[in-house]
Amino acid sequence: MANLLYLIRRVLQAVVVILIVTVVVFCLLHALPGGPARGILGPQATAQQIAQFNHEQGLDKPLPVQYVYYLRTLLHGDLGTSYTLNEGVSQLIAQRLPKTLVLTVLSAVVGLALAVPLGMWQAVRRNKPTDYVITTLSFVAYSTPVYFLGLILVLVFTQLLPWFPSQAPQGDSLGQVFADSNALVLPVIAGATSMVAVFSRYMRAATLENLSEDYVRTARAGGSRQRAILWRHVFRNSLTPVVAMLGYYVPVLFGGSLVVEQLFNYPGMGLLFWSAAQSSDYPVLLGCVLVISVATVVGTLLADILQRIIDPRVKAGTS
Amino acid sequence: MTTAEKTTQAPTGPILRLTDLGVTFTTETGDVPAVRGVRLDIAPGETLALVGESGSGKSTVALAAMGLLPGNARATGSAAVGGRELIGTPEAELAGLRGRAASMVFQEPATALDPLTRIGAQIAEVIRNHRTLPAREAAREAVELLRRVGIPDPEQRATAFPFQLSGGQRQRVVIAMAIANSPSLLIADEPTTALDVTVQAEILDLLRSLAADAGTGVLLVTHNMGVVADFADRVAVMLEGEIVETGTVEEVLLRPRHAYTKRLLGAVPRLAVAEPGAAPAGAGETPPAGDEVVGLREVSVRFGRGPRAVQALSDVTLTVHAGETVGLVGESGSGKSTAARVALGLVQPSAGSVSLFGTDLRRSRGRARRALLAGVGVVLQDPVASLDARMSVAECVAEPLYVHRGRMTSAERRARVEDVLERVRLPRALANRAPRELSGGQRQRVSLARALVLEPRLLVADEPTSALDVSVQAAVLEVVSELQDEFGFACLFVSHDLAVVQHFAQRVVVMRAGRVEERGSTATTLLHPGTDYTRRLVAAVPVPDPVLQRRRRAARQEAPAAGRTAAGE
Amino acid sequence: MSAVLQPGQAPGVRPPGEPAAAAGRSGTRLALRRFARNRLAVAGLAVVVFFLLFCFVGPLLYSTDQTHTTLTQVNLPPGGAHLLGTDAVGHDELGRLMFGGKVSLLVGLAAGILATVIGTLWGSAAGYAGGWVDAAMMRVVDAGIAIPALFILLVVSAISTPGIAGLILILGLVSWLVPSRLIRAETLTLKNRDYILTLRAIGGTHSRAIARHILPNSVSTIVVAATFQVADAILLVAYVSYLGLGVQPPSTDWGGMLSSGLTAAYSGRWWLIVPPGLAIILVVCAFNAIGDGLRDAFDVRGRG
Repeated sequence: MANLLYLIRRVLQAVVVILIVTVVVFCLLHALPGGPARGILGPQATAQQIAQFNHEQGLDKPLPVQYVYYLRTLLHGDLGTSYTLNEGVSQLIAQRLPKTLVLTVLSAVVGLALAVPLGMWQAVRRNKPTDYVITTLSFVAYSTPVYFLGLILVLVFTQLLPWFPSQAPQGDSLGQVFADSNALVLPVIAGATSMVAVFSRYMRAATLENLSEDYVRTARAGGSRQRAILWRHVFRNSLTPVVAMLGYYVPVLFGGSLVVEQLFNYPGMGLLFWSAAQSSDYPVLLGCVLVISVATVVGTLLADILQRIIDPRVKAGTS
Repeated sequence: MTTAEKTTQAPTGPILRLTDLGVTFTTETGDVPAVRGVRLDIAPGETLALVGESGSGKSTVALAAMGLLPGNARATGSAAVGGRELIGTPEAELAGLRGRAASMVFQEPATALDPLTRIGAQIAEVIRNHRTLPAREAAREAVELLRRVGIPDPEQRATAFPFQLSGGQRQRVVIAMAIANSPSLLIADEPTTALDVTVQAEILDLLRSLAADAGTGVLLVTHNMGVVADFADRVAVMLEGEIVETGTVEEVLLRPRHAYTKRLLGAVPRLAVAEPGAAPAGAGETPPAGDEVVGLREVSVRFGRGPRAVQALSDVTLTVHAGETVGLVGESGSGKSTAARVALGLVQPSAGSVSLFGTDLRRSRGRARRALLAGVGVVLQDPVASLDARMSVAECVAEPLYVHRGRMTSAERRARVEDVLERVRLPRALANRAPRELSGGQRQRVSLARALVLEPRLLVADEPTSALDVSVQAAVLEVVSELQDEFGFACLFVSHDLAVVQHFAQRVVVMRAGRVEERGSTATTLLHPGTDYTRRLVAAVPVPDPVLQRRRRAARQEAPAAGRTAAGE
Repeated sequence: MSAVLQPGQAPGVRPPGEPAAAAGRSGTRLALRRFARNRLAVAGLAVVVFFLLFCFVGPLLYSTDQTHTTLTQVNLPPGGAHLLGTDAVGHDELGRLMFGGKVSLLVGLAAGILATVIGTLWGSAAGYAGGWVDAAMMRVVDAGIAIPALFILLVVSAISTPGIAGLILILGLVSWLVPSRLIRAETLTLKNRDYILTLRAIGGTHSRAIARHILPNSVSTIVVAATFQVADAILLVAYVSYLGLGVQPPSTDWGGMLSSGLTAAYSGRWWLIVPPGLAIILVVCAFNAIGDGLRDAFDVRGRG
């Protein structure tokens, strides 16, 4: 019951957030120089051509009316038509989104799988040389722009050591993408690196905090050994706040995919967005922003729910 | 279970022997010796209470006896459990002893258990740390242990998470973990300090019977002389890292030799109790003399909305009149602090009315409201959180002057601050110090000075001394009563400590679960309670006299079990 | 990646208790002493000071022409008259590193501070107001966080090309969300401190509570947040050029140098990307290390 109520409240919150996002996107749409018309008709278009375009597209109505129109078309799953590709934005995104999800989810899984043990190991070896070395490395990993990192990866692993291709899988279906798994290695490394840096720091902090908790002392007083305490108790307790952070990290992951896809020529949403930006294809740009934001909100929601599964206290609403 | 069964494994001689034990902590500011030259023995089946005030090193001794000292501590001398030396023993070997030869119960049941592991699993873990037996077997034993420590419906409770249990039940679980491998030594570090008195009495009864059944030696660390009188066979008194006096509980509590012990016992507020069976004198409320200062009328408070809403107060009526002190007592969650906050206007009642100095607090706004509130002084419980660490003592005390006497010159303000600091018996030199440099007692006096700087007509004190040592508490309370005599302010005094309230307040209001359970003059109400609840509350308070306490305990245990809630506190 | 939460700065998961900072008077001194013992943090401070001198004083000692192209001296490898070589239009690379660093540092510092200021105002207002005001203000923050900053920046770059002031404004506007969450959490714990309750009980005003207690006690949290924010902003500036929103030639910044050197790297002209790349990494690392050191020293979130 409490769970259901929580879920309902949380979903309502998400809906409010998405509505605010649509307002932002709508405002961006109208912040375009000369409106959307100028963008598509080009600088040579006459005022008359623009006026006609605006009339055809319903762009001469008052803003609130346009917003309602806009929302109504959104509810029908219609994100407009690409100016340059002559295809529905929804269709374009539907083709590309799964690929981006594959990349981001893989990066997140790889990143977490490395970061969690690394952070715990650092906490246990706190202030020893290994801790300092890993801390320094994670600062460096965090501070390296992804495109610079990608460049180094390509130079090292495709030119110096020709182990991996410099292009991500190009296949249309997910099956083809997975079949070319070798080509996924570099993009996933590029996407996961900063995540390893950030989450190993979180995990280190959370582990240190938990190691000083009273329950660790109780377990030691009961004769439990360090290793058992670490894996049976500290690990799970430290993971809870880290999972909570995962929700906030979702937008960063998507932001990263924008650069990674462009670097490795991976035909996901990031690349679609990128080329749309080059050709001022506003419907595609704003459609992508909207979909990515909704994906982020949903991702955050999932992380919240995951946290409640791990931590019984949150479930009961006493925490 | 017989005594013989358990004592076979322990050889003759003391279970715990500390010889010339010293502990030094390495800190940012250099080495700090915490314990020096401590020697004591505990025989099988014997309970030794290690008493002292905060900073005396008593908890450090307990941790040393478990080999659980933190990394920055260095131990010298000898600490032997059942003949095995702990100091210098490698961690892996110590782990083999902990939970088997000696085990420990901690002060804070709220944090002592892993919040994400089911309690049955936590107990089973301790069992399997020392004995090789199948998981299912260990789980069954865990349920059995839960039953032994008085958890109702143990099969089902074993699958509960700690947060689903009350504080007393959690402490029972910690005790179950401690006795899981029948240790010969049980170390209990302030095991009941975080609990309400009625729960404290039950936990002490449980520990006593478990120790007696198994012939376990107990090292009880506590600051509470009543608990000592209730539980200990022998007592060791610690002062600044050293033991200053040792003896049987009767010797130390009734005929103390060392000056410090005498001073300590002198400072303990003693609950005056009627001899069991004495007839109640004429009960009833004495009509208060002066005008009403603050009045709550049929106040209800509800926190939150929907199904999670909590009814914090229901129909509470409470008045304080000029010049008198009203004690507001009750266990945790009884709503006493909420009632005080309603009186201060910090919490809005959902029903009922609040009047301050004869004016309806909810109707007054703006300047009028502020003028009204200028007549109120406040002292809250936490000496650390009560003062802004970024301000000097003088700034803290002067804050009400800035709020209400904006036109005062800085010289006048300084004079007023120094005057009031003197009245709470703090040296003027403290005025420019930061709160962090002060002791807990000094901080509470600063809070008191701040509360009195405007010469209020009402002082609201919410557990003002419960974070302080008894000797400091006595001094602070003395200052409050002196100043009350001098200025004649009324006082609403919230406390969980019946003995303090008995000494300090003329009238008392007993609260329970958000309602007023009983009210009356302190003398009659606390000596001859009119309700079962208050009677149980009074009976649960341990008095620092072993002979009297033994009689009281017997009387309490004989009392019809109807009122007692097994372990379902 | 930019606009990120820093390790340990966990919005919403900050534990209560522990006074926010070893604040005031001797507390500050104690914190500074702790900071001084943190080798990584001190090294970070040294790096930041070095780069500030390098970029703002360096050009006075090592003067180069960064406005005109010198087509006789293009793509020279390091050595000789050009310590770090020259780029495709003949600019001296070392001089360009100083020239571009000015923009990167200036924009990063200003945008980081702007983001912290906006975040502080928004977060403390929401936290102190509480109730539905807080809820509404936080939904706005959620929505802001839900739109990845890089996407917004790329949209903006498709629309216009702002100058330096515009860049600072845009970066500030996309990155105030995380600090606002932090400051809100801080305000929420502070406003229920006993000394605030005491002040309110005797009729103290809200403005006094905020000005005299809440803001001064949040200073350490704000300073720590600002340090991390500057690190993120400098990183974000590096992305901005890559996205095509950077400052216009002949002006440049480290990110611009890096992204325009990307293709050159494939033809072996490593000196066009390694210096700006290292400069970005070093400076961002340094600010992160300083922030980490300050957080530990001021005990902003446990001692860790």
